[in-house]
Amino acid sequence: MFPIPRSDSSALEALVLGLTTGPVCLASCGPVVVPWLLVQPQGMRVHGRQLLLFLGARLAGYLVFGAAAWLVGSSIPREWTSRSWIFGGVQVLLAAALAVYAAGWPRRRCTHHEPGRLVQIGERPAPRIGGALALGFLTGINLCPPFLIAGVRAAQLATLFASLQFFLLFFAGTAAWFIPFVSLGFVRRTPALVTVARMAAVLLACWYGFSGITNLMGKAFYG
Amino acid sequence: MASQSSARGAPRVFRGAGRSALLTLPMALWSLLMFTPAFRQPGRNLHTGAAAVILFMTGLFYLMMRTGETYRWRRIFFVALGFLFPVGFIASLVAERGSMSISISRMVSGDTPFCFMVTPSIILPAAFAHTIIFPGSILPTASNPHSIAMMIGLWLAFTLVLGKAWCSYACFFGGIEEGFAGFAKRRRLHRFVTRWGSRLRLIPWAILLFVVLGSAVLLEPVYCMWLCPFKTVTEFPAVRNVETAVQFGVFIALFAGLVVALPLLTKKRTQCGFFCPFGAFQSLFNKINLFEIRFDRNKCVDCSLCQTTCPTVALSAESIREGKTLLNCMKCGACVDACKKGAAVWHVKGTPVAAKPERARLLFLYGTWALATMFGGSILANSVAAMMGFLPWK
Amino acid sequence: MRGGMKSFLGYTGAALTLAAAVSVPFFLMPALSKMVAQAGMHIDAAYSGGVIARTIQRPGYQIIVYQPVQPRMLEAIEPFVQIVFQPADALPAQVNEEIDLDGDGRPDVRVSFAVPADSRAPLRGDVTALNGRYLSLTHVAGESFSRLFVRTEKGVVVRVPLNQGVAGR
Repeated sequence: MFPIPRSDSSALEALVLGLTTGPVCLASCGPVVVPWLLVQPQGMRVHGRQLLLFLGARLAGYLVFGAAAWLVGSSIPREWTSRSWIFGGVQVLLAAALAVYAAGWPRRRCTHHEPGRLVQIGERPAPRIGGALALGFLTGINLCPPFLIAGVRAAQLATLFASLQFFLLFFAGTAAWFIPFVSLGFVRRTPALVTVARMAAVLLACWYGFSGITNLMGKAFYG
Repeated sequence: MASQSSARGAPRVFRGAGRSALLTLPMALWSLLMFTPAFRQPGRNLHTGAAAVILFMTGLFYLMMRTGETYRWRRIFFVALGFLFPVGFIASLVAERGSMSISISRMVSGDTPFCFMVTPSIILPAAFAHTIIFPGSILPTASNPHSIAMMIGLWLAFTLVLGKAWCSYACFFGGIEEGFAGFAKRRRLHRFVTRWGSRLRLIPWAILLFVVLGSAVLLEPVYCMWLCPFKTVTEFPAVRNVETAVQFGVFIALFAGLVVALPLLTKKRTQCGFFCPFGAFQSLFNKINLFEIRFDRNKCVDCSLCQTTCPTVALSAESIREGKTLLNCMKCGACVDACKKGAAVWHVKGTPVAAKPERARLLFLYGTWALATMFGGSILANSVAAMMGFLPWK
Repeated sequence: MRGGMKSFLGYTGAALTLAAAVSVPFFLMPALSKMVAQAGMHIDAAYSGGVIARTIQRPGYQIIVYQPVQPRMLEAIEPFVQIVFQPADALPAQVNEEIDLDGDGRPDVRVSFAVPADSRAPLRGDVTALNGRYLSLTHVAGESFSRLFVRTEKGVVVRVPLNQGVAGR
């Protein structure tokens, strides 16, 4: 059907695919990244480090999917573009991660008892490394359309190494679009801003949860 | 707010009748100027509506001058606007379409009137992709005079002058809940608002962030499609599938809760202060607006009456200690009128606090009331005319 | 001195704000509206139908075929092609047209609908896909932005969804 591309042309193709479809990846991941970064302490260095952790975990998700795509070996069904149980499940997990992160779990040990609260917004620090890894990995395996296109192409390559290389370069192309997020480190952190970011994360969790559940139910909500 | 009125007592006399009339004269002339085109149109009902509004707005301004109070008289106008706008709007919808719902054919035709509340949602797609994610028309058409360019131009012009005072003098939705907030005699959830108010007033910002990001990603106006309570009293997408049915349910629930029930219980503008993302967006313009309310620390006795009175929890103990309001202050004047020590004052940025508060107030009111007369007044006039059976835009 | 300068600037700014307020209906609002109108914006294709691809002339009316509209970012619409039959008043009572949507010279869909005499009466129609690139519609009115038969001022607007399994994104 399709000629197996040579490794050098597929490398360039992966990079170009990542760069051109980056905005869609940004659309999928941006709403997660922005409130999460706003909760981090101020500072370019902190932001850079957190973003690297996030992207690293995202890359891990990409590579896991890249390996799976090659192992499966056949073209990924177009129906997986949306409304699949995988897509829905990942969105529900992402919603859970966002909600847990916004709520500030796990709790620190306290020397005195605090009155129980339904949602702790704005006072407890969010778990930084865990949050970066969880959110990064889940957005990494979030089956957005460019991701699936990359999966289809990678599955056609001759070796597992070529497939992983394809996804690595595809990832590099999309990751370039995340660099401007580091500038959020300049924004002055106040307790109010952190609270707002956590509240926004809760709202986004509700959205991802709703979207994930409708996907799991096989419902397609079109305008 | 009735209890605050009774606490403040009957309106005081601040200025003599002659001086008050003199200060009102420019506003009377402005009103005549604004409504002269209405008198040139045929139809006795529209003339009646215009004449009534001229007297109404001029009368209220005179009372502002005579009593030295702002909030009490502004609220009369604002509540009238909030309740009469839907009357006129719905009347026009029913006359034109036979229904409040907007069909998909109208959206495809670009016939959806543009509402200012959409503005934050469309900014990112407009800036990056030159795309307006709203089913309207950029230029006015015969079937849709409320074009995107016209409404954004209006909003921008008003915002440059008013800042967040838009929410007290121009928004034709806020008066509904302000009316309900004034209806109840006493607060029933006072402790809830006192305890959680500092966090509740951050919710609009979170919703703003969510709406801006969500709209840019989904390329649809998320607030309009999912979160606007005022769809209940204006127009809403016709229910044609499960999604639009869920949306309609959400609109009704939000209106019943945030616009009716909670203002009745708390005597606060709960939708405006604890939900509206457009209000949060407008707050940003307070940074560049020259008018504000400040507190004279020499006179303040920290009685917190201003905090209790503020309809949108725009004051905190810390901000009062610093002599300022918070960024979400709508400049409604409730705290100024409530303060028994005269510590809360109108202020022009850069000038000494409390040196010439009445001068600051006059400078603020002339511009603000002029715009309120132009915009809100014309809505009132048309609504009165509609109620009298005349639809000038048929 | 410095405080005096600040006060002067403050009151000057306040006066200018007042002047701006008075200028709103006469200058400021029209100028800003014009600026927005000339900013080069366009309505999102999901609402407007996109860009015109070609026009097919028929006796008394024309069929305007638009370029396919693909969802962008995470837009919740199916990809579609818009077809407009205009003017609606000049259409025959029953329309049955085979239309080439992609310009390859071969018809892609057959569009059938009855045109009610009353312009306010609801409109329903059928689309039969003649190849696998498009999806058929049966007795459709205004289901979604991607599946439409509606009458508007610009004519009868039909939107035919693309087969996502074939057309892709």
